[in-house]
Amino acid sequence: MQAGFRITIGVHRGEVARVNAAFAEFAAAHALPASIRRSMLVVLDELLHNTISYGFEGREGGEVSIEVELHPDRLSVTLTDDGKPFNPLGLPAPDTTLSVEQRPIGGLGIHLVRQMMDEVSYHRRTDHNVVTLAKLLPDGMTDGS
Amino acid sequence: MDITTRTQSDVTFVAVAGNLDSKTSSEAQQILDGIVRNGGRKIVIDFTALDYISSAGLRVLLGTAKRLRGGGGALHLFGLSGTVMEVFEISGFSSILAVFATEAEALKGL
Repeated sequence: MQAGFRITIGVHRGEVARVNAAFAEFAAAHALPASIRRSMLVVLDELLHNTISYGFEGREGGEVSIEVELHPDRLSVTLTDDGKPFNPLGLPAPDTTLSVEQRPIGGLGIHLVRQMMDEVSYHRRTDHNVVTLAKLLPDGMTDGS
Repeated sequence: MDITTRTQSDVTFVAVAGNLDSKTSSEAQQILDGIVRNGGRKIVIDFTALDYISSAGLRVLLGTAKRLRGGGGALHLFGLSGTVMEVFEISGFSSILAVFATEAEALKGL
């Protein structure tokens, strides 16, 4: 691993902005390509919003940690929370061919996550949800220094 | 996120800069709802300065498009590039919403 950071947030919506700010700063410091920075920000918004909105219903407290690692060939991000078991990869893909009138509101977030990342995996590990994301970096990207 | 609106005859132009995500989309929703509530039926949104959009932003657009179509109006978008266009294509929104390359094209047929 060449570089990375870890941030832990509480379970409320305002916390997503802290993650966005930390990630944007990291992306700038390591000259990540704009398309990769933006894709990761979309995916983090989808997953964190889901977890914060639904993962901790009926209880107080809880936390979500985000670990970012920049490798020579990939950017990987691991999201860990101690909320309800939820496998985002278990959801069916939405029908993206329906018209405006037919389309139900919502249901797209996880589809974006799957399509915009090169790798997505889910593990339920000792009462935690662990989602790992990876975006491959283009050849010839600088060493991240 | 910054939103600028202006009206020209019966068309309301809305320029969105920054990002439309779970945090900012409620503000965008309020502004678009306000336009519709005040009788706006033709809305053109400029996404030239939009960095990225997540599904929360798509939901706001879909809801507004449905309301406008129900009332005989229309929502036209232009200036999508990079990640915004990618999100539109993956979600199918590039074919269910009216997406144009330029403002002039977005105004035609309104």
